[in-house]
Amino acid sequence: MYPFGRGSKRLIPYLLLLIPLLLYVVFYAGPSVMTVIYSFTDMKNVPGTEVNFVGLDNYKSLLFSGNSSERWASIGRSLYFMFVVTILQNGIALLVAVVLNQRLKGDKAYRAIFFLPVVLGVAVVSLIWSLMFDPISGPVQQLYSVFGYKDTFFGSFTHAFNYIIFVQIWMYMGYSMLIFLAGLQSVPRDLYEAGHIDGTSRWQAFRSITFPLIAPSFTVNMLLSIIGAMQTFDIILATTDGNFNTRTMAYDVYKETFRGSLDMGLPAALSVLQFLVVLVFVVVAVKQMRQREVEY
Amino acid sequence: MLKRLSALLLASSLVVGLTACGGSEKSADSGSNQSGGKKVIKMLHWKQSNINTVLEDINKQFEEKYPEYKIEYITTGPDDEYKQASRTRITAGDVDIFADLSGMRLSPKEWTPGAKVPDWQQWIDSGLIADLTGQDFIKNYVPSDIEQAGTYNGKVYGIPTGKVVMSGIFYNKDIFAKYGLEVPTTWSEFIKLNDTLKENGVTPIGMAGKDVWPLKLPAFGLQAHILGGGDQEKFIEGVWKGTSKFTDPDAVEVLEKMKTIQDEYTMDGFMGVDYGTIPSYFATGKVAMMPNGSWEAPTVAAANADLNFGYFPIPATENADVNKALVGKYDMTWYVAEKGKNKEGAIKWLEFFSEPDIYAQFVKAAGFLPTMPDVKTDSKFFDEEVMPYMDGFQLAYEILMINRENVGEHLAAEGVHTEYLAPGGEFKTAKELAEVQQKEWDSAAPKQ
Repeated sequence: MYPFGRGSKRLIPYLLLLIPLLLYVVFYAGPSVMTVIYSFTDMKNVPGTEVNFVGLDNYKSLLFSGNSSERWASIGRSLYFMFVVTILQNGIALLVAVVLNQRLKGDKAYRAIFFLPVVLGVAVVSLIWSLMFDPISGPVQQLYSVFGYKDTFFGSFTHAFNYIIFVQIWMYMGYSMLIFLAGLQSVPRDLYEAGHIDGTSRWQAFRSITFPLIAPSFTVNMLLSIIGAMQTFDIILATTDGNFNTRTMAYDVYKETFRGSLDMGLPAALSVLQFLVVLVFVVVAVKQMRQREVEY
Repeated sequence: MLKRLSALLLASSLVVGLTACGGSEKSADSGSNQSGGKKVIKMLHWKQSNINTVLEDINKQFEEKYPEYKIEYITTGPDDEYKQASRTRITAGDVDIFADLSGMRLSPKEWTPGAKVPDWQQWIDSGLIADLTGQDFIKNYVPSDIEQAGTYNGKVYGIPTGKVVMSGIFYNKDIFAKYGLEVPTTWSEFIKLNDTLKENGVTPIGMAGKDVWPLKLPAFGLQAHILGGGDQEKFIEGVWKGTSKFTDPDAVEVLEKMKTIQDEYTMDGFMGVDYGTIPSYFATGKVAMMPNGSWEAPTVAAANADLNFGYFPIPATENADVNKALVGKYDMTWYVAEKGKNKEGAIKWLEFFSEPDIYAQFVKAAGFLPTMPDVKTDSKFFDEEVMPYMDGFQLAYEILMINRENVGEHLAAEGVHTEYLAPGGEFKTAKELAEVQQKEWDSAAPKQ
């Protein structure tokens, strides 16, 4: 009953937990807090240069300077990306999960195939779709040609961003599907049987039994896709490199940090800004979702 | 409550941290610079196979000649990864000699209030770069090249290892011969040539729009010969002082000529084509011409060894004499780190590198135009196709232009972004794009 003994020995698990906690504080919490502090300074990545507290200057220069309209456009695009990806990705994933949960023949193979893009990783997925979307000889263009339609895909100012959204959903749908599937499989069969006896239709069964019971998976999926979507910069980097109206907040953070000047204040401020936007949506989403979770 | 809090914590921990981990990263001190009794020289470079191979070879020769040294040749991925690695190592004193992507550029002038100070200048100002002034080997290089690309405040800090030209157009000699075409020397001849090719069902030009920057290459030629009446530095100083504008006829002419090239003569769907595949279109004769940098000559030759191709400067104006000067930039430049553990060794290596026969090995493999006089590249392409146009060589707009901080995306990265022109982009005419550019330039003006 007392795996760690009694008395002072009860402290051992806490001491053990202290080790990873310390690692997190040093390598995660610390830098995160420092980011917030940097965002109020003109710190540069050159040793020996003095660091001054500049108040809100970095934020002002982000939101109210010559090219701020682009920043606002990036924020707008991030939100659009987040909404479209969250809704479509989870919608499709839920549908696929429900279908696969019917114990079809070869359902394991389907599951593996749908999950495969996650395993492939962003670089491979981006390469695949860059080839698919080749405007001269790519298969998608050949399909379009049947309908007499031409596109430049990732080189199109009007469509490139939607193609990126498509790739994002294609890549991560399997991930959401897997979480839904796990949720679906934990729904007790007898509830359906009881429902069947009471004469529920399939839709009623889904709405009143399945949906409430997989609410925890729903919460997890919503959170993961909201955060994932707001954080995505890698697919953008690999497909359009931010050209053709495809910059998002996360891409801008990457660009300002690793490609911009030696200034550290501005990218830090941008990170904080991004964090605040994500925070708002995550808080709202968590609140909404938690209310819906039930236990029978 | 605790459940909610932890969900929030999870969420926030996923978000913050990118900047902090990127910027302040410091590489661990590697301690001793001794290795088996030898003094280690740490050399940092990006991955680029032709240059990596020749440098490894030169390093071996150096170690044979000076057995007391051992070179640790560190390569990282190119671009962002290299930028990050060099920043980190230079600030940590964990490198002795490193390469920069081009010669010194973008240094603010007295007429550029509020302009950003580039990395290399900040490093020099903070005492991180070794002063090479007075080293004997500097005399081996062309003085004007050292002056233009390696000198700051009257002192030599960088060694530019070569030049590349960017404003030329590769052309398929067989296709030209088939239709009786000659290398055009004026803009109207160029247009006529394009029309002839089109009439014969040949796609005149292959260009990669998806990567955006390749569109800058022919524009450099136009800018150098058209802006400021052929003096682009005058134009650049003028836009800062307000005496010239992006809406001036010369600036609009550059955009209009690019629009003509893009709309009329460049292959369909070029806005979605990426840079890497363009040489194969040219090498297989699917397009007759390819505006591109001199560095692509080996790629073209490798793609089709039988291809008979040449190179000519884009004829920007009606004046053939003006048109024939190529436009380009300085490429890879060496810097020695002041705070490294083996500055003497690094300078010793640079001295060895600068011996004409060693340098010749390098410049041949790198495919640069030499910055050392009387060094032969043994390249037929350079000797026959490029050297005739090297009189009056000019630096490209992107090297000379100094941007205002926070300038809008239609002028960002020292470009004029003709990808925004219709049909790919939103601007129907060159004038409309020029007006947005001037507006963005004005609104990026430093606040008084």
